[in-house]
Amino acid sequence: MNGVRILLRQPRSLVGAGILLVLLLMGLLAPLITPYDPNSLEFGPFMPLSAQHPLGTTAIGQDIFAQLLYGARLTLLVGAVAGLIATILSVTLGLTAAYVGGWVDEAINALINVFLVLPGLPLVIIAAAFLRGGGVWPVILVISLTGWAWGARVLRAQAMALRERDFVQAAVASGEGPGRIIFMEILPNMTSLIAANFFGAALYAVLSEAGLSFIGVGDVSLVTWGTMLYWAQAKGALLQGAWWWVAMPGLGIALLGTSFALLNFAIDQLGNPRLGWGSVKSPRRKLAPTPPAAGNALLAVRDLDVGYVTPQGTVRAVRKVSLDVAPGEFVGLAGESGCGKSTLAFAATRLLNPPGEVLGGSVSLAGHDLLSLTPEALRQVRWKEFSVVFQASMNVLNPVLKIREQVYDAMQAHGITDPARLDARARELFALVGIQIRYLDSYPHQLSGGMKQRVVIAIALALEPKLIVMDEPTTALDVVVQRQILQEIAEVRRRLQISIVFITHDLSLLVEMSDRVAIMYAGELVEQAPAHDLYAHPAHPYTQQLMKAFPPMTGPRERRSGIPGRPPSLSETLPGCPFFERCAVRMPGTCDVKPLETFTVGEAHTVACFLYDPAVSPATKELALSHALNPVIAKEVQLESVPNSALH
Amino acid sequence: MSYLLRKLVILVFTLWMAATLNFVLPRLVPGDPVSVMLAKYQGRLDPSAVDALKIAYGLNDLGSPVAQYFSYLGQLLRGDFGRSISLFPTPVADVIGQALPYTLGLVGITTILSFLLGSALGLYSGWRRGRPVADGLTPVALFLNSMPYFWFALLMLYIFAFKLRWFPLGGALDPFPGPNFSSGWWSSLLRHAVLPMFTILVTSVGGWLLTMRNNVVSVTSEDYLAFARAKGLTERRILSRYVLRNALLPSFTSFGMALGFVVGGSILTEIVFSYPGLGFYLYQAVVGLDYPLMQALFFIIALTVLAANFAVDLLNVLLDPRIREGRT
Repeated sequence: MNGVRILLRQPRSLVGAGILLVLLLMGLLAPLITPYDPNSLEFGPFMPLSAQHPLGTTAIGQDIFAQLLYGARLTLLVGAVAGLIATILSVTLGLTAAYVGGWVDEAINALINVFLVLPGLPLVIIAAAFLRGGGVWPVILVISLTGWAWGARVLRAQAMALRERDFVQAAVASGEGPGRIIFMEILPNMTSLIAANFFGAALYAVLSEAGLSFIGVGDVSLVTWGTMLYWAQAKGALLQGAWWWVAMPGLGIALLGTSFALLNFAIDQLGNPRLGWGSVKSPRRKLAPTPPAAGNALLAVRDLDVGYVTPQGTVRAVRKVSLDVAPGEFVGLAGESGCGKSTLAFAATRLLNPPGEVLGGSVSLAGHDLLSLTPEALRQVRWKEFSVVFQASMNVLNPVLKIREQVYDAMQAHGITDPARLDARARELFALVGIQIRYLDSYPHQLSGGMKQRVVIAIALALEPKLIVMDEPTTALDVVVQRQILQEIAEVRRRLQISIVFITHDLSLLVEMSDRVAIMYAGELVEQAPAHDLYAHPAHPYTQQLMKAFPPMTGPRERRSGIPGRPPSLSETLPGCPFFERCAVRMPGTCDVKPLETFTVGEAHTVACFLYDPAVSPATKELALSHALNPVIAKEVQLESVPNSALH
Repeated sequence: MSYLLRKLVILVFTLWMAATLNFVLPRLVPGDPVSVMLAKYQGRLDPSAVDALKIAYGLNDLGSPVAQYFSYLGQLLRGDFGRSISLFPTPVADVIGQALPYTLGLVGITTILSFLLGSALGLYSGWRRGRPVADGLTPVALFLNSMPYFWFALLMLYIFAFKLRWFPLGGALDPFPGPNFSSGWWSSLLRHAVLPMFTILVTSVGGWLLTMRNNVVSVTSEDYLAFARAKGLTERRILSRYVLRNALLPSFTSFGMALGFVVGGSILTEIVFSYPGLGFYLYQAVVGLDYPLMQALFFIIALTVLAANFAVDLLNVLLDPRIREGRT
């Protein structure tokens, strides 16, 4: 299994598994390691440590080392079996609640809540006191019955989330039975959670057993690490100075518990990579100083390489992208989901979180070399020179602070501390984006999505930055609100002469609003042109396809066509053009072998396509165009673009 | 306040479950507990104690189990837990009244200290992820969290009370500490409390650390944190207003579940240090087969834990505006 392989690469799960293995071997190989029976009374009481008795003897003359080895057996058994039963209970109850729903869910959930807050150990003690004397099984049973609730809660929540997912819904719709859905669709997606839960329950079981044995409920005639501690305490081991009689079994329990906890954590992390142990601070890059940006560009991104470093390898999400933004310019950045446009924005503003990492290139903004600024210098540049409006602005505001504080703190961080000035500016900003002043004293959850977005835009304008990066700022909003907000953005920008980088997958929107449009595909910037030029003469086959995918506002109705195929995986290293597989006019032997290059096809119009490569023979291009899979595209390339490229 | 109302309903429901478990458990045992005890005490038991026992278990009551159940609930509501067998004829309520302040003082104060210390360390560990100390705290916390409380208590007792004689071997006060609340009394109380407190602190701090660290890590990947960074806020501001506030909330929510575990461990700690709190008497009750005391103690422990939980819920309302509005 893939998960197991990843686990074995982590030092912590390795240590956990290692400890568990050693303890297991101790129990299994006990007869080989020690010649003594853990229960025989053949030696003198309280014998000191010696070669013959590495841990001395008990008050009644048993060999402590032998007891420690044999004690591992029952201790592990209790942990494993009680953990298993508790897990089975958790899975059964959690899944039943999530799957059946209705009053069954209500009832199970109430039961879970009760068992979560009932103090477990006292309950176990009472229950075991009534069931005492029956060997190890009543203890296991009682522990399992009190240890399932936490797991059931987690699994119920996960199963409910899974139940809403498409593939489960599809299975329900196709008439699969509940058993099949649970066992074939839901359970396989919860294995890591269930495994983590097992180790958590086993930890609880081992500690509970130790506690129970220690106070003498449970069966103290058995040899477990817990009962060893019971006898050590009962016979006054510490008063006799035989501290090792107490220390060793307890250490065994603590180590076993640690190994369970390590495995629990490591497996948990498989399902929830955010909990990773790794570093969160992206290291400041030590690069050669950036050459000053060409011309008068406000933002100059040069050969930016960005990747996500994962255990499976590095995913190169942005590949040698260069992009300039002039002062006051509105630049649109478009592409399909997953093409790297958001990653580009985050990396260029140094907001990328691990595992994302800038692998090369430079970003210069208003004279600052952004990627090599010290944290404090970066902090001062942020918001003053450039601000950012995020994609998911639903969650961008801190839920526990009032809006007012979140508007203020951006300004306070940059030296505006006078309360009157802060208040005046906040009012000004709210008026600018069209929200009532009274919402300043609301909490984020009291605002609608559209209002939150306006608040975020107001905050972004607070210090009148030179540049605002907007990452799909309106995608989550309904069309009417979207339009209003876009109009406000356009107006504010014109009034304040702010540059905007606007990221979206909505090309029609960009063509309408932008001065210049850049198209990304599979981490590459494939075309850049003035908006009107791009609209009239899209040069890259991918751009042409994108244009086909949305209807024009005027003109006859036509059938819209999508782009067949999918973008290549970003973890691959592609020798040639990333669009090759999906391209209707590809040139085998050229596009799939030559490293991608960018060609200029017009005034400020560049494209990364070999159809415009003067080094490729016209015959090859003709051949590709005549073989085109889609006649509409072939025509367009032929009529519009090829002659254009021939000029250069 | 639908949130608090719901919490209150769960609290009452849980208490009722605890009471019902108390009622059902003795009746699940093959034979009846009274004859088990009679056999154990082999006629040394006071006849009036036998009567008290029979009353406690409704064995003198020939009514239906349902009628027995309701009269049991009625007694419970009046705070009538019957009489202790091992300390006959002391009423169980008196024993609890004596023990409760010690447990509340010891476990209550230590739990709050441990929560604060653990959360502070967890905040550091989560926020400074990638540094050796911050990352090293996690395995240490895992180990501390996996130690049996009573084992660590025994080691502390051995080293600091038995070997070094820095602290008393057990109990809560010296035999003659002076008048109540005098300075001598306080210093005696404190000296007796140091080792149990330290034990509970060390063994429970790891849990809070891990919880807080996880919360901090999830808050770190929230969009509002990226936004706060993008705004150029100072580290201190981000940490106090954005990370801490939001990471503490789930910590509070899991407080209740962890509390049950801490209380369980504290019970064992009390036993080791012969600290005369609820746990110590629970042990005495288990050893002496004193079922009425045992059940009353379980009920009171459950009640205390639930009350603490409810207090935390109240605090949650103050800290989270979303809950204040009735959204959860």
